[in-house]
Amino acid sequence: MTNDVLIQLLAAFLFTVGMLVVLLRRDTIMVLMGIELLLNAANISLVAFSKSGGMIDGQLQVFFIITVAAAESAIGLSILVNLYRNFGSIQTQSATTLKG
Amino acid sequence: MSPVIIVLAAISAVLAITMLVAKNPITSALCLLGVLLMTAGIYGLIGEHLIATIQLVVYAGAIMVLFIFSIMLLNLNKESSEFKDKPGIFFGAVTMGMGVFGVIAFALNEHFLKHRQDIPTGEFTSEKVIALGGNSKVLSHALFSQFYISFEVISLALLIAIVGAVVLAKRKFD
Repeated sequence: MTNDVLIQLLAAFLFTVGMLVVLLRRDTIMVLMGIELLLNAANISLVAFSKSGGMIDGQLQVFFIITVAAAESAIGLSILVNLYRNFGSIQTQSATTLKG
Repeated sequence: MSPVIIVLAAISAVLAITMLVAKNPITSALCLLGVLLMTAGIYGLIGEHLIATIQLVVYAGAIMVLFIFSIMLLNLNKESSEFKDKPGIFFGAVTMGMGVFGVIAFALNEHFLKHRQDIPTGEFTSEKVIALGGNSKVLSHALFSQFYISFEVISLALLIAIVGAVVLAKRKFD
């Protein structure tokens, strides 16, 4: 087992845990943190594959992904503040006004 | 394989599990910060210095500060979330997660490890990158020549995100 296999297994594990955080936790802020963990796992996988293949495309892609993740978390957290202002809670089950 | 990478990977796996099961959101946020720092360490150890620095500055610096700041702003201690589901749902989800991990590991073995020799390598091997002036120089050169339109578009997207966050936070919905 070499370094890149270990890093790929770590990426798969972090992806799994991030998916469980998104699915199981009931706070909207925890869901956002789970999304960050998923993006981080994908970044690790991209960088390790690109490094072991002798390319730089994965690293450049990760640069753009990190920028988009920063924009996404800024928008997501301001939506979260609005949610708290309107419903008085950030639990995912409290925002149910869209149900038919 | 390097023992330091094994230690960093083990610490980040433990921190991720702690993030999943912690009751207090601030504990989860600090565990996520630890995972991001360990990731930056792994990037640095495999020789990706520019990505490691960006990970430290943008992810561990800016995004996590934003998260911890909004947890404090919303005062979430009172409604710390526990697992209110039935235990069956929790164990079902964990089983599904193990299934996903197994599928990824199987695909890694089947499509990467078995065909390792057949995969063509690119031109940027470690020796070539050192000869060209280091990791940061090579990445920056590609970023400002081959990918400069993407770079400009991403800066525009950041500007739109700033304006959108201000508009969303000021707006009153009725």
